[in-house]
Amino acid sequence: MNTNSNSYKFKQYTMFAGVATVLFGLVVIVPFIYGLYLTFTSWDGVSKTKPFVGFSNYATAFSDVDYWHALGRTFIYAAIAVILVNIVAFVLAFLVTRGLKGQNFFRAGFFVPNLIGGIVLGYVWKFVFNRAFVALGTAIGSGTLSVSWLSTPTGAMICMIIVSVWQYAGYMMLIYVAGFMSVSEDVIEAAFIDGCTNLQSVIHVSIPLMASSFVQCLFLSITRCFMVYDVNLSLTNGEPFNSSVMAAMHVYNQAFTYKNFGPGQAEAFILFIVCAVIGIAQVYVGKKAEVGA
Amino acid sequence: MKKKIVALALAAAMAASMTACGGSSDGGSSAAPSGDGVSITIFNSKVEVQDAFEEMAEEYSEKTGVGVEVYYSSDTVAAHMATKYSSGDPYTLSMVDPKDIYSLAVEHGIDMSGEKWTENTDYEIEVDGKVLGFPMCVEARGLMYNGSAIEAITGKEFNPDDYSTLDAFKGLLDELKAGGMEAPCGIMKEDWSLGAHFFQEIYEEQPDVEAFITSLYEGKADLANNEKFNSIIDTFDVLKENNYAKSSPIAAEREVSEQKLAEGEIAFMFGGNWDWSMIKDFNYTDGLGMMPLPQNTTDGTDKKLVGGGSKYFFIDNSENTSDEQRQAAKDFLNWLIYDAEGNAFLTEKCAFVPAYDNIDASALDPLSISVKNYADQGAMVPNYNYDPDDHFSIVGASMQKYLADQIDRAGFAGEVEKYWASATPVEH
Repeated sequence: MNTNSNSYKFKQYTMFAGVATVLFGLVVIVPFIYGLYLTFTSWDGVSKTKPFVGFSNYATAFSDVDYWHALGRTFIYAAIAVILVNIVAFVLAFLVTRGLKGQNFFRAGFFVPNLIGGIVLGYVWKFVFNRAFVALGTAIGSGTLSVSWLSTPTGAMICMIIVSVWQYAGYMMLIYVAGFMSVSEDVIEAAFIDGCTNLQSVIHVSIPLMASSFVQCLFLSITRCFMVYDVNLSLTNGEPFNSSVMAAMHVYNQAFTYKNFGPGQAEAFILFIVCAVIGIAQVYVGKKAEVGA
Repeated sequence: MKKKIVALALAAAMAASMTACGGSSDGGSSAAPSGDGVSITIFNSKVEVQDAFEEMAEEYSEKTGVGVEVYYSSDTVAAHMATKYSSGDPYTLSMVDPKDIYSLAVEHGIDMSGEKWTENTDYEIEVDGKVLGFPMCVEARGLMYNGSAIEAITGKEFNPDDYSTLDAFKGLLDELKAGGMEAPCGIMKEDWSLGAHFFQEIYEEQPDVEAFITSLYEGKADLANNEKFNSIIDTFDVLKENNYAKSSPIAAEREVSEQKLAEGEIAFMFGGNWDWSMIKDFNYTDGLGMMPLPQNTTDGTDKKLVGGGSKYFFIDNSENTSDEQRQAAKDFLNWLIYDAEGNAFLTEKCAFVPAYDNIDASALDPLSISVKNYADQGAMVPNYNYDPDDHFSIVGASMQKYLADQIDRAGFAGEVEKYWASATPVEH
């Protein structure tokens, strides 16, 4: 049998990846292209006609000041949250790979927040910020705690970041745990024999060898933070005074609440481009570091 | 072994937490069509009556042989309808907000002008001579009060008519404060409450609403010097001053405020008769009711609630719905209005203030009875239903800033003027 012929390769491909390709095309590629097409129409979502309007939706999107504010806010939020998520996740992963008694229990425990859906998580933390912290603050007479953080723009942003860190740190921790486990015992032992301290062995041996974990974690946390919607909705719902509306929420509101489907769809597409560029750039840089190590 | 048990327990806990988030957003109930009968679908957009609707659908199917399926969605009405229409699967009957009748039913609804019920209501929606919207209920906004909490302090019978002016109202608040109620008012900080319900009254109580809105679109309205604006914001200032959550008004939770009102910890809060669906869950006292927003004015609006028809049904006109289904939908609407059981469903199960003069409504909740009383006396300022869709969010946000003392009154007026000048007029 000629295993090099095109028909053979095609058969092999269809057999192993055919179903996945068709499904991917149907549920990702087709809607994506259709969505792109909709950005050039002034369709309102229900009408039978879809008038073609060229680039005017993009013009509207580019002149939508609130959208750019939301996007800027998302950048700040994502930058801080991504850094904190990864630091916390890394430290947790470090701690639960040291052979502590009951470390599997801790691993599971830190991972649990990730299993609670973002919506529920938002409501739970809303209660914590609005009632528990306030009650505590009033009891101990602390000025900063006795007023709900969710009632000021900066406070709402801090709350969003705290909840995101709490939610994602456990998940990223698992990836870092896998990274720590993948570093061979021999290398670490050799480092100790060469006179490394514990800290040095982590910084100079473990971290370079687990660069791929960092790439994955950064990619996942960046994209998730940029597309944050559920926690945003249930924790702050954009309040106070629409000052905590993130990009995804603005897109949703624009399209479905304000019924500007065209501009909303165009804004969603811009958000996609932004995320894609950041994600790809980060993976590209990360992969280089991996090769270097 | 021990490890296994721990693992199992953890797995169970996780599974439980997963199901907790799995509360689906779309709930549907079906009653199988019996015999050869047709079957219709109903979209219900009021979550608090979904159970009542499902129960009714079953009974109605059993009795008439017409299959009825009731659906609810937690999406916004417009978003959900958009999904259903773009997938070519519309409901036979859809319950929507008035503005959706103008945006949806003009293209997708049938003309119901020949129906008998049009003679029994003043609230139907007519566009170009066609009756497109069947009014489901009357809802009104005003100041909710807890009469027994007030009477417990003042020691005399509370008659809301005595406090229609802001001066008299302030006097009462002082009396309440002197009597031990530290902060007698609550304010809902939700943007829809502030923007679409409270601020909205400034438009609705203008002498010429359309002209005023037009001047806002044109950027010519001088809000800061507008009599109605100042009158209503004066009242808002008084509520704000006496707000129990004055130190952080934006953190006030609706549930907490409603509970305080229901139990008489506070005496006043701006709202509407739909708030009953929350109040009824608390240990509420007697003497609850609704009164007009107190104002120092001579135009009579201090004696009227603001409201009108609120939820509307329209019947789908597309080829996805058969003529038999459309007839069944019409029969169902007639059953609601002209059958004793239909009436009981509306007023008792759903607690709707009926929009029809032939329906007996003595079994309503206290807030709805207030609304009915004002409606029967004709003391009702009509709703203005044609705000741009982002109005509640943007004006609501400005009003939240005003509530939290982030901007002053002139700044507030300026933000609202700026918003209107940049908004696209809504055709109606």
